[in-house]
Amino acid sequence: MQMIAIEFNLNGILVKAEVNPGVRLIDFLRDEYGLTGTKEGCGIGECGACTIILDGKAVNSCLILACQIDGKEILTIEGLANSGELHRLQENFLKKGAVQCGFCTPGMIISAYSLLLLNPNPAEQEIREAIAGNLCRCTGYKQIISAIEESIVVNIEND
Amino acid sequence: MKNYDIHQHVQGKSIFIDDMRLPAGTLHAEIFTSNIAHGIITSIDTSAALASKGVVDIFSASDIPGENQVGGMIKDESLFAESEVHYVGQPILLVVAESKLEARKALSKIKIEYDKLKPILNPREAFIKGSLIAPPVTFELGNISAVWDECDFIEEGTVESGGQEHLYLETQAAAAIPHEGEKIKVYSSTQAPTATQRVVAGILGIPMNKVEVDVLRLGGGFGGKEDQASPFAAMAALAANKLNKPVKLVLNRQDDIRITGKRHPYSSDFKIGFSHEGKILAYEVKFFQNAGAAADLSMAVLERTLFHCTNSYFIPNVKATGISCKTNVPPNTAFRGFGGPQAMFVIESAIKKISEKLDVPAYMIQQKNLLREGDEFPYGQRAENCNAKKSWNEALSKFKYEERLQSINQFNLENKFLKKGIAVMPICFGISFTSTFMNQASALVHIYTDGSIGISTAAVEMGQGVNTKIRQIAAKIFSVDISIVKIESTNTTRNANSSPTAASSGADLNGKATELACLNIKERLLNSAKEILNADLSEIKIENGSIFVNEEKKLDWEELISKSFLKRVNLSSHAYYATPKIYFDKSKSKGNAFAYHVYGTAVVETTLDCLRGTYKINSVKAVHDFGESFSKTIDLGQAEGAIIQGIGWMTMEEICHDLNGRLLSNALSTYKIPDIHFTPDEFEVHFLEGAKNPMGIFNSKAIGEPPFMYGIGAYFAILDSMKAHNKNLDYDFKAPMTPERVLLTLSKNIKTKIHK
Repeated sequence: MQMIAIEFNLNGILVKAEVNPGVRLIDFLRDEYGLTGTKEGCGIGECGACTIILDGKAVNSCLILACQIDGKEILTIEGLANSGELHRLQENFLKKGAVQCGFCTPGMIISAYSLLLLNPNPAEQEIREAIAGNLCRCTGYKQIISAIEESIVVNIEND
Repeated sequence: MKNYDIHQHVQGKSIFIDDMRLPAGTLHAEIFTSNIAHGIITSIDTSAALASKGVVDIFSASDIPGENQVGGMIKDESLFAESEVHYVGQPILLVVAESKLEARKALSKIKIEYDKLKPILNPREAFIKGSLIAPPVTFELGNISAVWDECDFIEEGTVESGGQEHLYLETQAAAAIPHEGEKIKVYSSTQAPTATQRVVAGILGIPMNKVEVDVLRLGGGFGGKEDQASPFAAMAALAANKLNKPVKLVLNRQDDIRITGKRHPYSSDFKIGFSHEGKILAYEVKFFQNAGAAADLSMAVLERTLFHCTNSYFIPNVKATGISCKTNVPPNTAFRGFGGPQAMFVIESAIKKISEKLDVPAYMIQQKNLLREGDEFPYGQRAENCNAKKSWNEALSKFKYEERLQSINQFNLENKFLKKGIAVMPICFGISFTSTFMNQASALVHIYTDGSIGISTAAVEMGQGVNTKIRQIAAKIFSVDISIVKIESTNTTRNANSSPTAASSGADLNGKATELACLNIKERLLNSAKEILNADLSEIKIENGSIFVNEEKKLDWEELISKSFLKRVNLSSHAYYATPKIYFDKSKSKGNAFAYHVYGTAVVETTLDCLRGTYKINSVKAVHDFGESFSKTIDLGQAEGAIIQGIGWMTMEEICHDLNGRLLSNALSTYKIPDIHFTPDEFEVHFLEGAKNPMGIFNSKAIGEPPFMYGIGAYFAILDSMKAHNKNLDYDFKAPMTPERVLLTLSKNIKTKIHK
């Protein structure tokens, strides 16, 4: 199998790699870079546990091939905290009890982050829309909504 | 108090089994399974698969050095099928390769042939053919046969409830690493480390002391990893043992759904006798449980169905019979509620029948029959500290039930095709494993010389926050900051012979054991302080990390610990807890089976689009009996999650097989669980006041399972919406009430009208 050379930005760092064209992005991130915060929950793009940010948009990394990220910017959950300081979404997920088993959490936070990037002041219905592709089997989603809502308020105050 | 595991979770740093950095050379396993529901294997050819790139070995039943047996309660389940296969998805072979992909590719090169046999998929068919897991079990109270004549009315009916896939987000997973002297260490995503240890030892034919099972955390369990994590651990261990290399086995979602068991579907018949006033006098019920192809935990699940057959009502004459039926689907297993929800759905259906017969709202019948203090359950225990009426009254007044009813009626008058519905759902759920011997736990507490604390218990953290609760307990008893208390992985070498983390009892049992261990050490520390400070015991107090004599600070916690160590004070304790006062005589089906009961009442409202069959759960509000919660954020999260899961079971989650026993809902594209849109706009869970529980840790109550059953209210609220559309609706008590079923039921009724 001929390898494909790619260059991309991974959590703020420029990376060069050679990839097998059949490798999924989720496996590439987990196996080559040890970024195991990106989880596989279903493998068919239904659960959202593998959500990452690709050029500013939330995508399911189980549905993308690694070779497709050439020249693009990738943000995973590991890149969200800024030199050890938690992002406000991470803080609010903690504060509001929006996390139970933790398996869906990274994807959930990344989807919320993507929402706030595109729409800094979303209404509750827009939050539900943005998170609809992320399944959680532990919570009743209520604290997840309130953790994201809480992150909006902080945003407005900071601005 | 928040769940403390979550600091890692929000950063993606928590390690689940698939995230572990295993030694170089770790091999990967994939399972080859039956693709027919029943038959005899006539030939298997693995030659092409063995020659496939990267494949190291292929294991079958004949490679098992010990006994090919994984059954816990009844020894009727093999790890790998030998000649007969009993369900689609039954493991036959294990392919081990250098990579997961290579193992996967080899699966398709295995050739197998069967002589097909006719599968049994329906529990009633199994019953007729005498295909049972064990003889039927009956619970009786009063004298049912004598009382039918005294009833003003008798109603009968049939009730069906469907299965439910656990859909823990982390699939079944294990990694096995061989150690010197034929020892093996197994990392398993199991709720039952000891059961996993026993199964691995049995498969390998080695004593349990050569198997170490370690569990850091689970990405959800819900009962699905109580009995069914062990086979996967055993498969990884079998290969690791033979090849003398680490082996990892992580199921993909489709394999997980296809291979593992689910919540038991039930088909039940009831007969209920009552007075003109709606007082229930007699209730006879027969539960046909679809157990699947092996016993697993089915008999225990069935027993809990019988325990909860009258929910939170007092019925003086009861006869409940449970029949566990053997069929050709994967062995069904524990799932939050453990047979209780299935039982409660039947009694609520029977009450609905009464309300239709007497033409009064169902809530009036429910209210009239609620349990009171001292009432006897069908198993002989009496209701103590009974909060059935208390939670009911508080819920109906707090949520303004009568007003809601009026505004719903008004809405329904004004709207032709949108109809609102409402239902009240009370619950009563017994806390304790119904197998009395399982109500035991242990805790090992160390204080290190720098004052930091490490605790190991038998509890498995799977998102329910049990580790945080245990930290809280230790921090409170020692009166130190919670940040110096760490919870270790759950490990069979530190806490042996443990019960699974199940039956909502994890925090109760392991919390009590932790309390005892901490109190042991605290007593030694106080005596040590007495000698160090030359003071009277009555004058010494440990508070907020300091040691006081008569309110004057004398030592820091760290100083007390280091000085006590030099004085050769034992800074460790291993304590054991067994729930007192419980017993159950299985031969008579009588006894004080439960330490206590959890009560509560929920009100559920729905809006139904009668043209499309689609509905919205608008509001779920509950007054729940948490005891005195010492972890309110965690307990609320558990309650809300359980409610949504319960509503999912009753409404949208539908397990479908084809006529050959092949699972059709085998992926997240075809099996739907509640997403964020499903969360009701109004979603409130309130703490019942004055619900102190002397049997629980710090007067709290167990939380995991009971709120699940509020979900049953969603079924009856949707039914109420449907009846608002057609008062004389002809319907079956059949769950899940999917939009499809709603539409078919509504349209069936329309057709009937036209034909007449």
